[in-house]
Amino acid sequence: MMRSRFDEELLMLNKELIEMGALCEDAIELVAKALETNDADIYKVVRPISVEIDHKERDIESRCMKLLLQQQPVARDLRQISAALKMITDMERIGDQAEDIAEIIGYLKGENLNSSVPVQEMARAAIKIVTESIDAYVNKDIVLAEAILKEDDIIDEYFMESKRRLIKMVAENPATGEYALDLLMITKYFERIGDHATNIAEWVIFSVTGEHEDA
Amino acid sequence: MREKIFRSILNVTIVVLISGLLLFTIVLTHYYSGIQRKQLKDKLSLAALGVEQQGLHYLSQMGEDEDRITWIAKDGSILFDNHADIDKMGNHSDREEVKEAMETGVGSSRRHSITLTRNTVYEAVLLSDQTVLRISMDQISTLALLWGLIQPFGIILLLVVAIVYYVAEKLADQIMQPLDLIDLEHPLEEESYEEMAPFLNQIYHQKKQIKKQGKELDLRKLEFEQVVSHMREGLVLLNTNNQVLSINPAAMEIFQTTEKCIGADILSVERKQKFISAIEKAKEQGHSEIRLEKNNREYQFDISSICTKKGNGGFIILAFDITEQRNAEKMRREFSANVSHELKTPLQSIIGSAELMKTGIVKEEDIPRFIGHIHTEASRLVVLIEDIIRLSELDEEGEIQKEEVSLHQVATEVLLSLREKAEKQKVTLQLKGSQGIIPGVYRLLHEVIYNLCENAIKYNIEGGKVVVKIEDREQQASISVEDTGIGIPLEHQERVFERFYRVDKSHSKKTGGTGLGLSIVKHAVGYHNGKIDLFSREGKGTTVMIWFPKN
Repeated sequence: MMRSRFDEELLMLNKELIEMGALCEDAIELVAKALETNDADIYKVVRPISVEIDHKERDIESRCMKLLLQQQPVARDLRQISAALKMITDMERIGDQAEDIAEIIGYLKGENLNSSVPVQEMARAAIKIVTESIDAYVNKDIVLAEAILKEDDIIDEYFMESKRRLIKMVAENPATGEYALDLLMITKYFERIGDHATNIAEWVIFSVTGEHEDA
Repeated sequence: MREKIFRSILNVTIVVLISGLLLFTIVLTHYYSGIQRKQLKDKLSLAALGVEQQGLHYLSQMGEDEDRITWIAKDGSILFDNHADIDKMGNHSDREEVKEAMETGVGSSRRHSITLTRNTVYEAVLLSDQTVLRISMDQISTLALLWGLIQPFGIILLLVVAIVYYVAEKLADQIMQPLDLIDLEHPLEEESYEEMAPFLNQIYHQKKQIKKQGKELDLRKLEFEQVVSHMREGLVLLNTNNQVLSINPAAMEIFQTTEKCIGADILSVERKQKFISAIEKAKEQGHSEIRLEKNNREYQFDISSICTKKGNGGFIILAFDITEQRNAEKMRREFSANVSHELKTPLQSIIGSAELMKTGIVKEEDIPRFIGHIHTEASRLVVLIEDIIRLSELDEEGEIQKEEVSLHQVATEVLLSLREKAEKQKVTLQLKGSQGIIPGVYRLLHEVIYNLCENAIKYNIEGGKVVVKIEDREQQASISVEDTGIGIPLEHQERVFERFYRVDKSHSKKTGGTGLGLSIVKHAVGYHNGKIDLFSREGKGTTVMIWFPKN
């Protein structure tokens, strides 16, 4: 009887994690679309999603704490709960960073983003990696999770490339300085989102195998 | 069964036993008391004889171990008793048997002791000297006899229980054996109790019915599965807790999942917020629709909640691929936008020229030029409208009677009518190949070849060449129109068959096309179930190949 309650709680936890992941996906997808269409008002749309992600984090956190205290899980169950606790931190950061990007898009005031910097590509890569990390969690797919760890390098490479191009741009035309810095921030946030997605993938591997990549 | 048999046998046995015992004791005591009484009477008459002859002397010989004899005087006082002290005994004249003997000569009575365990039987006789001689004897009572029999009876009862148990066991086995032997799969095959026949018959028929219904059910299930798995639409069934109950292959394709998701929450299949809230909406309102893009295709999801008597019984999700529909919608929108634009441009130009002339700004000598301009624009408009009409005819037209048409002959006529135009552009025309006879509509085929050749001339270079080649194969005939013109850039090649699509975005009037020619070609070829291929390299030329089936 106790056991089935516990299993039910774990299922609920799983469900809420997927929902939170879906919210993160929504947030960065909206941001990516806004980058394409130069939609300066995107912040108003992304902000509530980010708030909802924060609420979800609190909910999941307290659910995990309750489970840990009341059921004192061991082995695989314990791993699943502790991985969940770590993953929500990363997801919450992804939501925040999407919100930050949306804010910067507002500053740009519709200025053309389709410049030489590969922002669109970065956005697409970030969406892909976040979606895949959540997919890996949903399907407990270690193979996919391990592939994600390598994929992050692509986003890092994009960031380095953007940095080089922006430096060149400012050197040629110092007036573009502010614009260049905003773009640099956006690319940096995408790069961070990639890192958080990688973290999620690492925790997926941990929750299934019990081994953490960095260990 | 066994217990029941055991119990009923036991009950019967016990009842028989107890009633037997009762009857036995009653009859026995009755019988014995009769015998005893007779003996007592004999003894008394013997004793009476003795007393009459010898008096007290006879009685004094009686020991205590003999039956009790009492001699009672006429007044009731005791003269002799061989068991008790006569001084302590009271007057006996009131005793029933004594009274009776004094009156009638003989008397008898029976008295029960207080405990009821013993009876005392008295016999009295009146002697010649008016004294009464009484003899008495203790008799065991029926109750006492019964009491005495209880112990052996208990032993017998135990024995009976053991025997009954054994017998019941055997009997039950015997009764059960034919029942055990009944094969319930084939109830009518084995001989059994006659009494069982209705049951077995019933079982047999029900078995048959169940089998039939099972088969029918299997068939239905198979049918359902076949229908569902071959459906092009995706179908997902959810239970009340949003867990996947069943998912068909089309839906697995759409959601990029496998059968593993059965039993899991729908969230693990599709976690898009819009989708989940659509399910919530269906829960509240019974039905909801949502359009979502997945794997670069657009799908419409119809979500219905299953209503049962007990409330919500889950959800049915139907997924349709509406990509084509959406594209068609988009194309229609673009088409009407294009049509209005294309129609408006020449009209605008005509109105402009006319207004200028009306206000008198135009100099006399310029008027012919303006009228010429109005004329070209108006003719352009007519050509355009003719094209549009033809296109919509093709859209609307049903089956037109097909006849044998020679592609070669059509091409010859087309080239003849285009010769002038070609000469103007300094393009040479050439026709090669066989007859290419196919079933078709002459008017449409003429349209196809004319449009292709006209394009080949129009977009050619000066001194270029157009080669029309017709080939016959077993199943199909092909016609290719090859030019040495400007070619079509790769990125446009896919779209040139769209209505109003132009490679040259400026809609230049230089070439004077309507943008509908290739669209008409595509439609007409499609009408003949043909296939079009386009090979082109920028600056080198274009080849359009069309295959028509021969049957």
